[in-house]
Amino acid sequence: MSNETTIGPADPSGATAERLHIAGLHSPSDAVLSVRDLYVSFNSENGSVHAVRGVDFDLMPGKTLGIVGESGSGKSVTSLAIMGLLPSTAEISGSVRLKGQELLGLSDKAMCAYRGNDIAMVFQDPLSSLTPVYTVGAQITEALTIHNPGMSKPAKEARAVELLAMVGIPSPKNRLKAFPHEFSGGMRQRVMIAIAIANNPRVLIADEPTTALDVTIQAQVLEVLHTAQEETGAAVVMITHDLGVVAGIADDIMVMYAGKPVETGSVDDIYYNPRMPYTMGLLGAVPRVDVAEKSSLVPIDGIPPNLLHTPTGCSFAPRCPLVTDACLAGEPPLLPADGGAAHKAACIRSEELGGDVNVLEIFSAPPVPVSRFDAVPRGERSTVLELKDVRKHFPLTKGALLKRRIGTVKAVDGLSFDIREGECFSIVGESGSGKTTTLLEIMEFHKDQDGEVVIGGISNKQAVDAKAKGAMRREMQMVFQDPTGALDPRFTVYEVLSEPLQNAGMDKQAIRKRIMELMKLVGLQPDHVNRFPNQFSGGQRQRVGIARALAVNPKLVVLDEPVSALDVSVQAGVINLLDKLRAELGLSYLMVAHDLSVVRHISNRVAVMYLGKIVEIGEVDRVFGNPRHPYTRALLSAIPVPDPQFERTRERIILKGDLPSPLDAPKGCNFATRCPVFAALPAAKQEKCLTLEPPLEAVLPSPAVQALEAGPTAALDQQFACFFPDGELDEDMLVVHETADPHGP
Amino acid sequence: MLRYLAKRGITYVFMIFLTTSAGYFLAVSSLKPALLEQERIPRPTPEQVANSMRLKGLDPDLSPWERYVEWLTAIVTRWDWGRSPNGAFINAEFGERVWISTRLFLAAIILTLVIGVALGVYSAARQYKFQDRVITSYSYLAYIVPAPIAYFLVQLGAININETVGKRIFFVTGISTPGMAAGWAQFVDMLAHYAVPTIAITLVGWGSYQIAQRQYLLDNVNADFVRTARAKGLTRNQAISRHALRVSFIPVAQSIAFTIPAIFAGGFFAEKIFAWPGVGSWSIDAISLQDVNAATATLAYGSVIFAIGAILADFATTLVDPRVRVQ
Repeated sequence: MSNETTIGPADPSGATAERLHIAGLHSPSDAVLSVRDLYVSFNSENGSVHAVRGVDFDLMPGKTLGIVGESGSGKSVTSLAIMGLLPSTAEISGSVRLKGQELLGLSDKAMCAYRGNDIAMVFQDPLSSLTPVYTVGAQITEALTIHNPGMSKPAKEARAVELLAMVGIPSPKNRLKAFPHEFSGGMRQRVMIAIAIANNPRVLIADEPTTALDVTIQAQVLEVLHTAQEETGAAVVMITHDLGVVAGIADDIMVMYAGKPVETGSVDDIYYNPRMPYTMGLLGAVPRVDVAEKSSLVPIDGIPPNLLHTPTGCSFAPRCPLVTDACLAGEPPLLPADGGAAHKAACIRSEELGGDVNVLEIFSAPPVPVSRFDAVPRGERSTVLELKDVRKHFPLTKGALLKRRIGTVKAVDGLSFDIREGECFSIVGESGSGKTTTLLEIMEFHKDQDGEVVIGGISNKQAVDAKAKGAMRREMQMVFQDPTGALDPRFTVYEVLSEPLQNAGMDKQAIRKRIMELMKLVGLQPDHVNRFPNQFSGGQRQRVGIARALAVNPKLVVLDEPVSALDVSVQAGVINLLDKLRAELGLSYLMVAHDLSVVRHISNRVAVMYLGKIVEIGEVDRVFGNPRHPYTRALLSAIPVPDPQFERTRERIILKGDLPSPLDAPKGCNFATRCPVFAALPAAKQEKCLTLEPPLEAVLPSPAVQALEAGPTAALDQQFACFFPDGELDEDMLVVHETADPHGP
Repeated sequence: MLRYLAKRGITYVFMIFLTTSAGYFLAVSSLKPALLEQERIPRPTPEQVANSMRLKGLDPDLSPWERYVEWLTAIVTRWDWGRSPNGAFINAEFGERVWISTRLFLAAIILTLVIGVALGVYSAARQYKFQDRVITSYSYLAYIVPAPIAYFLVQLGAININETVGKRIFFVTGISTPGMAAGWAQFVDMLAHYAVPTIAITLVGWGSYQIAQRQYLLDNVNADFVRTARAKGLTRNQAISRHALRVSFIPVAQSIAFTIPAIFAGGFFAEKIFAWPGVGSWSIDAISLQDVNAATATLAYGSVIFAIGAILADFATTLVDPRVRVQ
């Protein structure tokens, strides 16, 4: 191992040219993109923010590099620096070479020859990334016009149609004249990809391309990216915070922390043999949707460092459980970790971390909490929440003065379920499936609601006065998705927590005592009660939100996407906390989440919703382990798993199209329009799906199990609504990537 | 689109009818021209006054409702908006005055918009640079200074120029010199009368557009779609002018349409100071002279201008923003 790609300690200034020479500016000649010693800093009012501190990588043609890191790790800044899209106030040093041509230091104008031509980018938020006032066709042809001024108009239009067809937009010729707002989020991201690959780029940078999308749409878009890469032969830089997303598609991974790569290597090295405690922690922090066995998640304490100050030691040291004094003496360089030169880790103790080190032990993950209710059979526990045939239909009207009803949106359509003491019940489904409306209906407490909601024995039909409503409200509290938005910025934590207690009529002394208790309960320091929400990190704010919900000792806590706004490493801590509280306090949870891995980890029972109806419901391990409804199967197969080998050989169901508008909900089975089973059915059987609505039916144990149990067998805790659960899947919707050799040495 | 505009048009006709009727009732029950007549010297008898009023269709003895019916019937059947207490016909006077107002404001409005929006774009492109600071500071100053004072200042400036040159270049009041022969001299005379009020109204007016356009454009300069455009290979300035500009113009287009009626109907300061006998000064005079029909007519005119402004706003928004296009 020479000093080829060794980075010196934090010293961006000085004889850069000389150091670059030593560092081997001349990358392997076949690399299409090589980045050396990239430093980016921004001037802020408080001083220089060192956003990127020494990034090196070589990208080979046709290969995929995954850059993984949490928010603030410098991954997006790295990509924007490569594209030359950072504001002019950013100070950039180092070298970025595209096919040997230096890009750093080029003027905006000179850079334009490369941007969109040799190197293209797909951004995170498809909803805001397209200009709202131009047609999609105009925006695609613009990319062609810029780099091919001589191209004729019909040729450009033909190419635009070809591109739209490539990214899977139906009837592309007509859609050219459509405006971005006429497309769904997933479709817009396809258009973004079409624009990016318009000129057959050599390098395609995708910055969190699927973060804003639903899982089924994410699977579609990842598939489109895969096609795009195959068609153009481009090398791809995939930036993400989700270790699952890159597991299946990346050849190499670079893990970034505090602006620096802390571990690089082939995808297998990183996932199966991580040598840096941060990588290990990250991998242990994400729950897996395909694993039934329950173990606690790896929590990484603390928060990423402030990049205003260049760290003097290892930047991860303050959060690292293995920290020693040597770690604080200078930032560790990225050095080969084990044998192979390709795998490098920036940790002085990386040698000790090989083999069979238990991550859970290193990070001292808490033991799996056991609730006193776990031993009690479900049927014997009391019910804390029950919904009976709850419906919420919104009339769709037209006309200004005289309103005509032109249709009905069945946001929630006949929902029934119950939650018992001490259990976590989750509702999953795509956006638009009615999850949030369900929560709102439960919180409504109105006697004129369609359907019955029973909370702690009090029905909404009895909720006629404020007293009954107050009693119901005390039984049930809510934790919101965005912890920042849910806390009043002008309230101290003490005020936030005392408000519900005052409402409950507690005296001052008792309130003070209870608040201290709550702070300890959620893992916050009790002496921080006088701080304002903005003095806490996202994870701590969510803990405050949880404390507020628990203040009045509710039986049921409604969790609306409780961790989706948090970074992976912080998320694990909050999930562990929720798990612990459920066990210790005997709480029940009603959770709405889009992340099925989190749902599987924390829930006992789960309901899968589609267009306002439950299509499958039951014990979480049964539903996820043996899904019967085609939609559940599709949903599960769309979740990326942080396991490269599994991902590579996995057969996926890629649903066609988006969630249909609830307005044109079909007469029979809602899911028929996208169903992979329906598509493969003979016409005679299809008729049944189209005309009859499948009822929820219980799953019976398989004959083999029935024989084993040798007695009367009860139906299992799993119900689904499908006529043909064992039907063949349509082959068009099945995708397997056969990548025998995912990457070279 | 045409159907949509027609629909909006009908709605506005209805609204104009409502506001005008309400305005008439308010005027007829609070304005008493007969009382003013009583103060003449020699003092007329109440019978004489009532008689003279009755002849002009302003019978003070009828109930408001009866007068309303009479007034409305005259408009609907003969398009006759009645008479003033001094005997003048509203139709004739209005016809003359509306033309004067239009002449006074049309050029000023166009200049205000073009200069305001152009300076907004110019200053946004040079955010926090010297030019931006000068232009934007000026706009805020124009915002703060009351319009009449600004008009006076421009008037004084024009008078100064006249004095320095020693020749009358600008007329600071009036619409034209009486008794001019038609031809070149009359045209020059018209320009000399136009220049001062137009410049004054424009100088005061563009500030708000400059501030709005600058702000909306800056909001969009760092928008995601501008970044996308740059990632395609456009330079920053190209991306801004092709993508951000049009999006930022959407809210400005709306505000423009709604300020047009404000300028037209609320231009009495300008009309008074520059002595242009337009609709704005008429509306104020009508109230002080207890002139029911004139006050109502100016109110109706204001509503019509407002409706036109609102339809223009819709039209402009539809033109620049495909998201609100009706299918």
